[in-house]
Amino acid sequence: MKKMLVMLLALVMAFSMLTASAETASDKQYVIDKGTLVVGITDFAPMDYKDAEGNWIGFDADVAKAFAAELGVKVEFVEIDWDNKILELDAKAVDCIWNGMTLTDAVKAAMETSNAYMNNAQVVVVPAAKADQYQTVESLAELVFAVEAGSAGEAEVTALNLATNPVLAQADALMEVAAGTSDAAVIDALMAAAMVGEGTNYADLTYTIGLNSEEYGVGFRKGSDLAAELNAFLVKLYADGELQKIAETYKVQAALIEQE
Amino acid sequence: MAEQMPIVIRSLNEGFGQTLRLFFVTLAGALPLGLVISFGSMSRFKPLKWLTRMFVGIIRGTPLMIQQLLFFYFPGLVLKQNIWGSGEAGRFAAASIAFIINYACYFSEIYRGGIQGIPVGQEEAGLVLGMTPGQIFFRVKLMQMIKRIVPPISNEIITLVKDTSLARIISLQEIIWAGQAFMKGSQGISGAIWPLFFTGVYYLVWNGVLSWLLGRLEKKLDYFR
Repeated sequence: MKKMLVMLLALVMAFSMLTASAETASDKQYVIDKGTLVVGITDFAPMDYKDAEGNWIGFDADVAKAFAAELGVKVEFVEIDWDNKILELDAKAVDCIWNGMTLTDAVKAAMETSNAYMNNAQVVVVPAAKADQYQTVESLAELVFAVEAGSAGEAEVTALNLATNPVLAQADALMEVAAGTSDAAVIDALMAAAMVGEGTNYADLTYTIGLNSEEYGVGFRKGSDLAAELNAFLVKLYADGELQKIAETYKVQAALIEQE
Repeated sequence: MAEQMPIVIRSLNEGFGQTLRLFFVTLAGALPLGLVISFGSMSRFKPLKWLTRMFVGIIRGTPLMIQQLLFFYFPGLVLKQNIWGSGEAGRFAAASIAFIINYACYFSEIYRGGIQGIPVGQEEAGLVLGMTPGQIFFRVKLMQMIKRIVPPISNEIITLVKDTSLARIISLQEIIWAGQAFMKGSQGISGAIWPLFFTGVYYLVWNGVLSWLLGRLEKKLDYFR
């Protein structure tokens, strides 16, 4: 039995030595050495979503693929819990958050963010039949809002002192409204445009007023040199007209921000 | 729905593959590890016995969900090094380790009950006949112990099938995640609840198969009284 104890102690020591190794100075070098850019996303049309074959596509997904190619590494998309995005980055479980992320003060404080590349707003989604009643901020007072936990939409609703049902993803928030388990949802305008209204799976939902206007950016680990790298890359893509082309593919060209 | 069916089924199959992998890896790791832990908790060397029992107490006393969050995020966040590797494979590795340790602790207590439940007279008889402790364990006690522990282990195994869904807390894409994706909106399907019923069917069928196999095993072991 003493042998077992010795082995146990040896294991503990091996583990502590493993963890003592130094951090690499450059995040870009870290990703290149690793050979893979791990992109943290949620299923979020039209930015990152699956096509019928199960491949990740969308405006953000396509630009992320191009960026990884520029770095000379593979790209890997990993679905995460949006509420854990900062945790996922800091734990190095993902290398960037690239999923139509609103550049809020909290995000900018916790991550190294790229320049804004797209305009957005947080809009109120309600059943189409009741849309007429909810065209002003005042009219929302009695409603319970489904919002993605940790999202910009949640921040807006909380700032207005309205009741919330936090859920795991923006798409869950839509489902809550469709199922009647929440009165309304607050989600990104770009997503609402793509996912509710006639011709979509949520034909009897619609969106009414916008609560704010905001911009999307990509988040890297605090202090990462990849943010500056991406900024330069976006300028190049915009100058080539490539960024506009990708935006047109997903019908978000109107919201694209000029990169220079 | 007819044209959505192939998309949903493929997605659910993929998710179920992940569920099954986690299930088998957990069993393959936890069944033997549980035996090692049970020896630790029955050790005559007091500190080891005390340490093992405390460990089992902590693991059994805290939710598997917390254990997974800690296992997955702690190395990267606190030790500044993600030991799990990137992407889905890293999440699977972390989930597997958490599941193996958790289930090994439960199994160890079941083993301990099985071993200690065998009358001490058998061991004494073996010693009188000149058998070594190793021979006594493998030739006399082991099969009796296995017979006794099959029903409680079966219980844990069935629970494990359903517990694999807890791995979604660290975003492992198991079958419930796959089914729920179509409620949230994925691959052009959203607001659909019927894929979740299918998800339930996968669990039912798999648990049915397992119950049948474990029932047969129990019958086979009827010889050992």
